[in-house]
Amino acid sequence: MARSVWKGPFVDGFMLKKAEAAHQSGRSKSVIKIWSRRSTILPQFVGLTFGVYNGRKFIPVLVTENMIGHKFGEFAPSRTYYGHQADKKAKRA
Amino acid sequence: MASEHICIGVISGPYGVRGAVRIKSFTADPVDVAAYGDVSDESGKRHFTLTVTGTAKGAVRALIKGINDRDAAEALKGVKLFVPRTVLPVLAEEEYYYCDLVGLDAVLADGTPLGVIKAVQNYGAGDMIEIEEKGGNAIIIPFTRDAVPEVDFAGSRIVVTPPEELEGETEPPEGEENG
Repeated sequence: MARSVWKGPFVDGFMLKKAEAAHQSGRSKSVIKIWSRRSTILPQFVGLTFGVYNGRKFIPVLVTENMIGHKFGEFAPSRTYYGHQADKKAKRA
Repeated sequence: MASEHICIGVISGPYGVRGAVRIKSFTADPVDVAAYGDVSDESGKRHFTLTVTGTAKGAVRALIKGINDRDAAEALKGVKLFVPRTVLPVLAEEEYYYCDLVGLDAVLADGTPLGVIKAVQNYGAGDMIEIEEKGGNAIIIPFTRDAVPEVDFAGSRIVVTPPEELEGETEPPEGEENG
């Protein structure tokens, strides 16, 4: 069952503090280590890079507008699969 | 650097009775398994001409020239399909094939060796490179101009500037454990 709308999106309180501190310090390109995979990505996180813990290491997640409403954990899988490279390509952002 | 041949799929079994096969494709778009011309097996001695006829249960259905019955198709089960690296199209600026990046040395801006690129991953938040250090530890760095200012194929290396961490803690602070 979906979460009730009246509650608003769930986000751990300390996430907001960390994001605000990053904005205020002007170090928005630094990686903010977080363990809260369950927190929803809010508009104030856009542009920040979070290191989301996947149980073993921190996966860098640069938050963009398209990610708003998703959870941080969606971008840091806890199982590793390497697969084949074939013709896959990476773009340097 | 990239090896000369790249594995783009594997024949997973026959499909139907007329010699079609199911192929597990490793390409970004599964039907591109036949887009790079003839493919060869691991030894490079056998060559196959593929014609993709559709998809089935996550696999690609294809016909192979000269394979006309199910027994012949079944005999090809497990054969890996390779294409030469040279047939892949030239990419735009700032685009790189995973196979070209994997294996490059990663060095810091001052020339200190950091490790070797083990993999390139994209979990939906942009491409990132996984660098395996000499001790076996892996570090993950976003594939951005800030973090990777230089990609030098001639020197078989990339220059890495790991992003600084706002907080250096290695354990979750009090109250953040249950995230």
